[in-house]
Amino acid sequence: MSAQPDVPQITNDSIEDRLYTVKYQDPGESHLDVKVPDVCARCTTNDCVSVCPANVWREGDDGVPHIAYENCLECSSCRFACTYDNVVWEYPETGAGVTFKMG
Amino acid sequence: MSAILDGRVGDAAIEEPNYDGEFDAVVVGAGLAGSAAALTMADRGLEVLLIERGSSPGAKNVFGGVLYTPTIRELVDLEDAPLERYVAEKRFSMLSHDDETALSISPGEWRREPHNDSYTVLRGEFDEWFAEQAVDAGATLVTETTVTGLLREGREVVGVETDRPDGGVEAPYVVLAEGANSLVGEGANLKATESRENVAVAAKEVLEFPNGENVIEDRFRLFGDAGVSYHYFGEGAVGEAFGGGFIYTNGDTVSVGVAYRLEDAAANDQSPEETLNLFKSHPRVAPLLRDARTVEYSAKTIPEGGAESVPDLAHDGAVIVGDAAGLVLNNGVHLEGTNMAVESGYHAGRVIADANARGRTDADALEAYGRALEESFVVKNLERYAWLQETVEEDRELLFETMPTAFADAGAEYFRMDREPKAEHASRAKRAVVDALGGWRGLAKLALRYRKVVT
Ligand SMILES: Cc1cc2nc3c(=O)[nH]c(=O)nc-3n(C[C@H](O)[C@H](O)[C@H](O)COP(=O)(O)OP(=O)(O)OC[C@H]3O[C@@H](n4cnc5c(N)ncnc54)[C@H](O)[C@@H]3O)c2cc1C
Ligand code: SF4
Ligand code: SF4
Repeated sequence: MSAQPDVPQITNDSIEDRLYTVKYQDPGESHLDVKVPDVCARCTTNDCVSVCPANVWREGDDGVPHIAYENCLECSSCRFACTYDNVVWEYPETGAGVTFKMG
Repeated sequence: MSAILDGRVGDAAIEEPNYDGEFDAVVVGAGLAGSAAALTMADRGLEVLLIERGSSPGAKNVFGGVLYTPTIRELVDLEDAPLERYVAEKRFSMLSHDDETALSISPGEWRREPHNDSYTVLRGEFDEWFAEQAVDAGATLVTETTVTGLLREGREVVGVETDRPDGGVEAPYVVLAEGANSLVGEGANLKATESRENVAVAAKEVLEFPNGENVIEDRFRLFGDAGVSYHYFGEGAVGEAFGGGFIYTNGDTVSVGVAYRLEDAAANDQSPEETLNLFKSHPRVAPLLRDARTVEYSAKTIPEGGAESVPDLAHDGAVIVGDAAGLVLNNGVHLEGTNMAVESGYHAGRVIADANARGRTDADALEAYGRALEESFVVKNLERYAWLQETVEEDRELLFETMPTAFADAGAEYFRMDREPKAEHASRAKRAVVDALGGWRGLAKLALRYRKVVT
């Protein structure tokens, strides 16, 4: 973006730094998955990747997204966004996952 | 049988080994709706188990936002509640890529108790406090426990399954207060999964100002406990998407975020995080947020399907309340879910207590909850704006892109300082709006179409 007159520069944290602001307890295994990898391989929209506010879903080489589940903020957007209903979405067990202090 | 009470909060250790049959009602989720239901039932003498998956109530919850208190204040004494600030000013602002045209509302009445029942809160603190009120009334709270399914006997819901070892709990009534991501209700076919056209994604930050005193008071022109709620629309807020941006002042922090339809987020290359960054950098937003530090980043979905998306609220042995039932009003001028969550939890709790007194658990008996909601502001407000979603979708470009620029241009023309007579400026200003919005005919149509948002 070109600099505008008399507009202060806002420095935004990177997603990594942003994710450091929330407490996270690793449930040990992913609470997210895809139901049928072949469906992802044929999916051209990758909506799961586009909507995720935490960079959990990343386009994979074979067309099946890579899931960095430890980044997940449990917003549920990916679950609703996939038009093929191909997202497996479970709650991390016994309170693991993200904890917001403020929300 | 059930080892679930191992997770019980507070100093109440497990003394008895068997809790099946001990509870009259199980509430799934200690958000606003769940705690309101638990409190209402406990007040009426029912044994209530309130199950929350987070490490404490609120630990998983995110909102804007402003807590609307007309109902909750009837249920609990808010004197000691962790409220941040009352809302003394509401500001609605249209942003083009570099213009702003805004309307600010700040009635003197809002500065006086009960402050129009509008307070900023942080859910991590407020929800915990509210759940404690339910516990004080006699409810039992267990945390770090996720409900994974419902126990059924035929059609009837007779309890819940949890992720604790031997984690099943039987009870005549189950209140589903699990929020927008309603895995339990959907899994049990008590409600359909909301389609993505009706769901918004929100990305939010809580910011603090490490340098200097009274930064929030000075920037937002506040004194004492007064606070603001700022709402932003148009291209400069969330690009071409259907949604908006917000800024709310808390005690020592501000909440900043964007929320827009998943449909648009899916179509855009820009992630919600990038949309938030751009909103924060807008020439009229950046000065409010400069030199701030991020203390928390969060995200959440908002169910926006309105009246048409509300599922069957009463089932045999179960009711659905709050966001799980789609009870959120978001029409651009109003974003309200907290009041509806509490109102629905209250009515559900009341109706269950009545039904329990008569020994009834069937859907017909619990249907009184649905009727109470229909007679309350909740369903009336949702129905009032049921037409809006589609209409806004049709006028999207006009509303979010053309209009913010047209109004800014008109303002610039109207107040232009040059050597031409003001009559020239006025007519050019008028033309800027009229032409952009499809002539007088277009303008009249538009006014007619949207008059019900404010009248
Ligand atoms: C970004 C954003 C901004 C908003 N701004 C405003 C605003 O300014 N004003 C306003 O009035 N409303 C606002 N809303 C709407 C408002 O937040 C919701 O309507 C309200 O929180 C709904 O309350 P609830 O109790 O139904 O659901 P939630 O608050 O979502 O609570 C659900 C609870 O259930 C728990 N849970 C879920 N599943 C399980 C399970 N299986 N087992 C155990 N526990 C479970 C969750 O951890 C959570 O504690 C906003 C929403 C968002 C997302
Ligand atoms: S999860 Fe859905 S949206 Fe994502 S790649 Fe697979 S099919 Fe496509
Ligand atoms: S729930 Fe939200 S944060 Fe987690 S992966 Fe899905 S979109 Fe990303």
